[in-house]
Amino acid sequence: MNWKAETDEIAQRRQLALEQGGTDAIAKHHGKGKLTIRERVDKLLDSGSFEEIGPTAGAANYDENGELDSFDPANFVLGFGQVEGRRIIVGGEDFTMRGGSPSPAGLRKSIYAEELAVQYKLPLVRLHEGSGGSVGGTSGKGGASLPGPVNAPARFRSVAEAMATVPVATAALGAVAGLPAGRLVASHFSVMSKATAQILTAGPAVVARAMGEQKTKDELGGWKVHTKNGTVDNGAADETECLTQIQRFLSFMPPNIEQLAPVIDCDDPVDRTDEALLDIIPRDRRQAFDMRRIIRSVFDQESFFEMGAGYGRSQITGLARLNGQPVGVWANNCKFLAGSMTADGAHKARRFMELCETFSLPIASLVDEPGFMIGSQAEREATIRHGTSAVLTAAMTTVPWASIMIRRSFGVAQAAHYGPNGYVLAWPSAESGPLPVEGGVAVAFQREIAAAPDPEARRRELEEELSARQSPFPRAEALGVHDLIDPRETRTELCRWVDRIQPLLPALLGPARFSIRP
Amino acid sequence: MIKIELETGGSVWKVLTKPGQRVEAGEILFILEVMKMEVPYEAPISGEVLAVHFSEGDAVEEDQLAVEIAE
Repeated sequence: MNWKAETDEIAQRRQLALEQGGTDAIAKHHGKGKLTIRERVDKLLDSGSFEEIGPTAGAANYDENGELDSFDPANFVLGFGQVEGRRIIVGGEDFTMRGGSPSPAGLRKSIYAEELAVQYKLPLVRLHEGSGGSVGGTSGKGGASLPGPVNAPARFRSVAEAMATVPVATAALGAVAGLPAGRLVASHFSVMSKATAQILTAGPAVVARAMGEQKTKDELGGWKVHTKNGTVDNGAADETECLTQIQRFLSFMPPNIEQLAPVIDCDDPVDRTDEALLDIIPRDRRQAFDMRRIIRSVFDQESFFEMGAGYGRSQITGLARLNGQPVGVWANNCKFLAGSMTADGAHKARRFMELCETFSLPIASLVDEPGFMIGSQAEREATIRHGTSAVLTAAMTTVPWASIMIRRSFGVAQAAHYGPNGYVLAWPSAESGPLPVEGGVAVAFQREIAAAPDPEARRRELEEELSARQSPFPRAEALGVHDLIDPRETRTELCRWVDRIQPLLPALLGPARFSIRP
Repeated sequence: MIKIELETGGSVWKVLTKPGQRVEAGEILFILEVMKMEVPYEAPISGEVLAVHFSEGDAVEEDQLAVEIAE
């Protein structure tokens, strides 16, 4: 007598689990242009690297003879796997069963994802499509599930701990509502599929009932809404691009806070200069320039990965490499509201600095900051509070900073672009001071201008006089910057800095003084 | 057909194209003034300008339709 009957049943259960919600449900899912959770996992991971946790978790149904009749697998798929040879934890709801609303075993696996990631100190990727709990509970209307006991562990503790410990990247691949939507944004990087995803705190039916608002899923929570308001960092054309972006994000990240980000071999010469940088900044201060063009030129070729391009658009944040070393990149975009610090731009910048601080990534900052955004809308958005939050976050960081003064550096807001003991270099086009001369002169010298025979000429004269004082040369004379540099040599200077800070990085490892929150 | 929408509000400083005109990709179509900065908008494709939805001096808003170009 052996255990063959049982091992056969194990094999049978495993096979049944792979059938997910059944042929029809899968066909319907594919018909909507969507991949199943198992296809998503396979596409994300290196081929054959998935090691599943709890494939036999679920509900078994038996016939009259006590034989296994059918098996409903847990509707959350979870396991270990590898992305570009590096191990991660991956999980996601199975929409082909109960529309991704958790079954009892599905809920257990889903909650386990963060705990596993923290326990094994591995990056966590969650691929979301599903809704939260049903009013009938996980067991359905007829079920008699007990409410959780008072001494149950705090439900979201592990979600917060994961964010303080390991990189968390998430994707919205279909409709994501309720609890999965909350978990989607509890991440360091999130991306949504423009073709297939919506993100909803509550769906159209609940909204219609409670608010009397008749909206479609896309109107409520499609990509046009959520890539612009910062709910997700990035939009992607489709599911496949979402997974590619997650792979890209992970390539910059260490596996956890106790290790440094992986430095790769770099074939882009550190002394590569770029002639175009000599005239990229127009001498006319009213004329905008293309900051992304500078970023592409200075950092390792093709290495820049922008995060949050759709919101807080006056600020540009992303990851890149300098001679193979991953760094955080933060820059102003003068083409959007002059690059000023808006409320949403400040929020984006704060989260970004927290990401760098959590994972010990040095920050390279390209500064063209005219100051906090002003005007009635800016006041309504509490810009000064969000902006000051960014300023103080920068002041509390411990990672190395290099700040390149590209053009403007004004007011309180500019302080957010310089870290403590940062390395500061200035381009000849740099200007700095309490506020830009154009606005400042008209206010501070109001009477003098009004009293002049030709007020307009006097205003221009004063502006010229004062802008000379904002030039980087007197600043350099006073050791107010480490050096003035030729813009063409920016890459070389930054690569030297990266080499110099290498001995400082190991000491940064471990829990950050403050960690990132959504 | 490509519709160019405005990234931000501001005022229209210069309009450098008109309906019926042939434009090349990268050519500047119009320049907004936003927070005392000139912000040029370039043609994303080469083609014929079908419509320009504002005039110099107009106050404009974010997401407003600006120019339409046919390939």
